[in-house]
Amino acid sequence: MEQPSVAPILSLNNVEVIYDYVSLAIKGVSIEVPTGGMVALLGANGAGKSTTLKAISGLLTAERGEVRRGEVTFLGQSISGMMPQDRVKLGIAHVLEGRRVFEHLTPEENLVAASAVRSRHVMKRNMDRVYGYFKRLHERRGVASGYLSGGEQQMLAIGRALMTEPKLLMLDEPSLGLAPFLVAEIFQIISTISKDEGLSVLLVEQNAVAALDIVSHGYLIENGRIVMHDSTEALKRNPDIQEFYLGGAKGKDFRDIKHYSRRKRWLT
Amino acid sequence: MDAVLLLESAVNGALVGLMYSLVAIGIVLIYKSSSVPNLAQGSMTMLGAYIVLAISTGVGAPIWLAIPLAIGVMFFVGIGIERLALRRLAGRPVIMILMMTLGIEIFLRAGTMTIWGGTSRPISLGISDAPLFLGPLLINRAYAFGAVVALAMFGLFVLFFRTRTGVVLRAISDDYTAAWSVGISVERGVALSWAMAAVVATIGGVLWGSVQGVDQSLALLLLKAVTVAVLGGLDSIGGALLAGLLLGIVEGVAGSFLDPLLGGASRDLVDAAMLILTILIRPHGLFGRHDIERI
Repeated sequence: MEQPSVAPILSLNNVEVIYDYVSLAIKGVSIEVPTGGMVALLGANGAGKSTTLKAISGLLTAERGEVRRGEVTFLGQSISGMMPQDRVKLGIAHVLEGRRVFEHLTPEENLVAASAVRSRHVMKRNMDRVYGYFKRLHERRGVASGYLSGGEQQMLAIGRALMTEPKLLMLDEPSLGLAPFLVAEIFQIISTISKDEGLSVLLVEQNAVAALDIVSHGYLIENGRIVMHDSTEALKRNPDIQEFYLGGAKGKDFRDIKHYSRRKRWLT
Repeated sequence: MDAVLLLESAVNGALVGLMYSLVAIGIVLIYKSSSVPNLAQGSMTMLGAYIVLAISTGVGAPIWLAIPLAIGVMFFVGIGIERLALRRLAGRPVIMILMMTLGIEIFLRAGTMTIWGGTSRPISLGISDAPLFLGPLLINRAYAFGAVVALAMFGLFVLFFRTRTGVVLRAISDDYTAAWSVGISVERGVALSWAMAAVVATIGGVLWGSVQGVDQSLALLLLKAVTVAVLGGLDSIGGALLAGLLLGIVEGVAGSFLDPLLGGASRDLVDAAMLILTILIRPHGLFGRHDIERI
């Protein structure tokens, strides 16, 4: 398998997360995100994708989760045990699953709330930058965010994260519940931001087709374990990935039921 | 019906109502900035008054110095409450937090009873007992002063929630996890809201203490404050103001006209009726936020 060539901005080494002292959610996950690179973490519902992101952003504690083993390293520094707000200061931004905008605040206030530690001048500059990427947010900046459309809320969630001036942007299922053309638009903007500003991106997705279009490297997580990782090209060529994650490249014969019961090769 | 008596009851009731709002604002502040229903505001109001007394009689400081000193002390009491009692509960079910604030209320009542006993002590702000004449109406000066202070506090807090810190606090109340995710120190925000509530409690406590003396009955203001906060909508500062006015006027008028018929206690009946009816008919109050549901 190909390893990313650039030095990693983020690496997880054998991270194990446990909820409520009993249930093991991820079991020895190792991931690297190269500096300035875009990496996808793909997997089905409940595979441990969100837990992995929360282990990185430190939001596990709020849900009584805990990193029990392994190490999360960001910019060469171990961040296990750090408070979430300190990780944000270091440059880690986590866009939560389901958007989670501050619904009773306007988009503009959402952006203000996310720059609590910045000077007014820096905040204004970041705000212009966010409005530059997401023009629609600017048009809707005075409405309560709860009334924005799903796509606008997702843009706001990403824009809000950008206000913290991240070096690593983690997105948890940004395509959830959005029309395909919006997914394409949002992914395109993320890709542009990454290229323009050297922002590293860790993208968690169920929608593997869309994700593999913009990232350079992908990890596959199943039942809390990384079962495979490779460059996007290699992943796209892999027949199992094609079948189980990309919906079959050759056109599936639905009469051939046996097809479904075939085991994934990496499990044997 | 005597029109002058009616009008006089209404005006004095409105002033008292604004002083209720001053206690209610402590509940609104905390709800608006952390979504925690604060049932400890009654005893915090009482504690504030006791601390002013302790400083002015114990150390012999003049009242106008004792009040700011007590405000400073109460600021840290508020911070302490968050640090010791609430920090561990962040992210836990709201019912546990509610019970915790009730526990604080009971603790503070029992604590003040232990330290200062049950006898009523006066606080004098140097406001004359002589009524203010407004045409044919007699207005209570102490209530009028309290109402003016209440209005000033409302103005202050309305402005505060437009500042960046205010926006951050509102964000925390919307979604703790999302607030953490953008680097907001949720713990510090919640502590700040309790500190502000404790400061308001001190001011409310002094004003009420000067009207009715400082004793355990000050903590019973919690009931009025809860009614006002719920009627106004738990997270609306302006709502608390109007609800206070409304409750005060209804109470005042009902008091003057129903008390002779019912033999007293009609104020508390009115209070209870307003609380219960609000929750039945309009649970989010007059101006409270709805939970936004998109279709």
